[in-house]
Amino acid sequence: MTGSERAGGGAPAAAATGPASGVAPLLDVQDLKVYFPIREGLIIERHVGDIRAVDGISFTMTRGETLGLVGESGCGKSTTGRAIIRLYEPSAGRIVFDGVDTMTLDRAGMKGMRRRMQMIFQDPYSSLDPRMTAGGIVSEPMDIHGTHAGDEKRARVRDLLETVGLNPDYAERYPHEFSGGQRQRIGVARALALEPELIIADEPISALDVSIQAQIINLLERLQARLGLTYLFIAHDLSVVRHISDRIAVMYLGRIVELASSRTLNREPLHPYTVALLSAIPIPDPVVEARRRRIILRGDVPSPANPPSGCRFHTRCWLRDRLGNPEVCSTEDPPTRELAPGHQVACHFAEKVDGSAEQVQAVGARDAMPPQPSTPPLPPTHPQSIPGAAGA
Amino acid sequence: MSTATLTPAQLRAERWRLRVRGYRDGWSRYRRRPDGLIGLAILVVFAALAIAPSLFVGPLQTATTATGTSLQPPSLAYPMGTDELGRSILNLTVHGTRVSMIIGLLATVITVVIGAVLGIVSGYVGGRLDTVLMRITDFFLVIPTFVLALILAPIVLEIVGTDAELFGIRVTLLAIVIVIGVTSWASTARIIRSQALTVKERMFIDRARVIGASSAHIMRRHILPNVVALIVANTVLVFAGAILTETTLAFIGLGDPFQPSWGQILNSAQTAGAPGLGAWWYIVPPAACIVLVVLAFTLVGSALDDVLNPKLRGRR
Repeated sequence: MTGSERAGGGAPAAAATGPASGVAPLLDVQDLKVYFPIREGLIIERHVGDIRAVDGISFTMTRGETLGLVGESGCGKSTTGRAIIRLYEPSAGRIVFDGVDTMTLDRAGMKGMRRRMQMIFQDPYSSLDPRMTAGGIVSEPMDIHGTHAGDEKRARVRDLLETVGLNPDYAERYPHEFSGGQRQRIGVARALALEPELIIADEPISALDVSIQAQIINLLERLQARLGLTYLFIAHDLSVVRHISDRIAVMYLGRIVELASSRTLNREPLHPYTVALLSAIPIPDPVVEARRRRIILRGDVPSPANPPSGCRFHTRCWLRDRLGNPEVCSTEDPPTRELAPGHQVACHFAEKVDGSAEQVQAVGARDAMPPQPSTPPLPPTHPQSIPGAAGA
Repeated sequence: MSTATLTPAQLRAERWRLRVRGYRDGWSRYRRRPDGLIGLAILVVFAALAIAPSLFVGPLQTATTATGTSLQPPSLAYPMGTDELGRSILNLTVHGTRVSMIIGLLATVITVVIGAVLGIVSGYVGGRLDTVLMRITDFFLVIPTFVLALILAPIVLEIVGTDAELFGIRVTLLAIVIVIGVTSWASTARIIRSQALTVKERMFIDRARVIGASSAHIMRRHILPNVVALIVANTVLVFAGAILTETTLAFIGLGDPFQPSWGQILNSAQTAGAPGLGAWWYIVPPAACIVLVVLAFTLVGSALDDVLNPKLRGRR
């Protein structure tokens, strides 16, 4: 792929949420819903309810960017990725890829679309067929789509294996002869086989050793720079996501509660849930770390079959407690508001988060915390997170 | 990780090396199973008998070429005695091996093909098709094989006649083959389906769908290779069952009297009144062969299951 901007398609009328508004987005997801029906009855099945895995989310992605999708287990982040690539059938909403509404495509049309979007799976152990060689796994997409054959195909397999840092001579080996990191490289190689534009990375490093995680992340970043790829990077670990992402969407119980640039989300989180997530990331400074107070959320994520009324987060929200349990939290679904350009948040009281002690502590800014010794600002935990910038 | 590039010839050699290593690993696991080895040895002996019976006992004796006297007990000339027509029981039994084995083999092929195809399709496609296919399977599962065979055998014989020949085998045998095949695929289909259901949920199936693979491609390239171990192990057990069914059918008179299978010999013994006359040598040889072959298949089947099923590996 050239990575050149494609004309046509036309940007949807919906408010552009990406930083590069004006350019037609590569992917535009509008009000996506994925419900899984709950059925009862042995012979005659009755539809008694739905698991609302994804319940109305909207976002856009521009070509070449990385959008991180974070959230707890069961918040619907993987379902979102799988619905975009149509492993799950969306219940409602629009998924527009490069100007084409994929929901209207038939089987053949979707097959063509799958060449342009690919997926990297979480578990490199179960996502490779144990009965196929590495070369067979990487070349299978080419067989199905008939893009390469014969010597050309073999050459491309070697090329791909080399691209992801594997010895091309290992093409004849079976998955069980590789380590976890090597297997994930095979997974990356086969995702690249069809030269896709969008890659949905569904927790691509969660099953790997920490040392290997960095290697795979670096590989993905290198490939993005070289091939102009667009990533939807799904993970539950905010510290990893903020490293690789340009923008981050935080999901909770089937909704996006906050969407902002990686830098903004780290410095000025505006949703109580994001603040709680950030407070869980260790800061590599013992002084700051010792003074920090973690926000420990009570209980588990409520059931998506029966989500809480009003704001879905209100049952676990620390801000609601502090504000004396305002009624609006449990009665009214907070609308998604754009509080700053490109910074969306769905909380009735997002303004109260801004500059609160919790927010400051979650970010780890030391000068905002009493007592304040006269030491220089702490080294950044990450190039993108700049301390001491709390409070807009 | 060496980066030296291999030539195509070296690659082919490497491929073979890996393949041979796979077979050798399997064999070395199998070799540790004494029951499997005993079963295999028995099967090799019977396979030899089936391939070249005349080599061991001379041509098949008929009523006209019989040399002995009626119902002679075992002697040096007739190690297993003779039947009421004076034929050597040893001769009949050895020649019966071929018929029994061919019927078992063909019936097994039918059973496994129907069972594997239906099982994989039913398990992978799921939904309504699965429900319909499995209700049909249930139907064949609850009908006693033997009773259905009892009804089907004369019907098939009526349709195809008793004289025609196909591939040098009399069609009357094929009738029995069809009857056994049609009545015994149900449990195979069930077993394969359950495994297909498991494999279907593995991540690499999702992966195949993401790259745009069709259902047919997924079933052929991903499901089938992952259930093939189960199919092999099941085949061996089906083989044993098929031989038993053939024996039973032949014993009650639904076989082909001109082609002596073991069941056919037992049927003749019954008709000749061998039990009443105390002619045990007429009954014991074919019966012992049946027991041995079925036992051997069962031993091999359970050993194979152990070797081919990765989940059971190293459990002992």
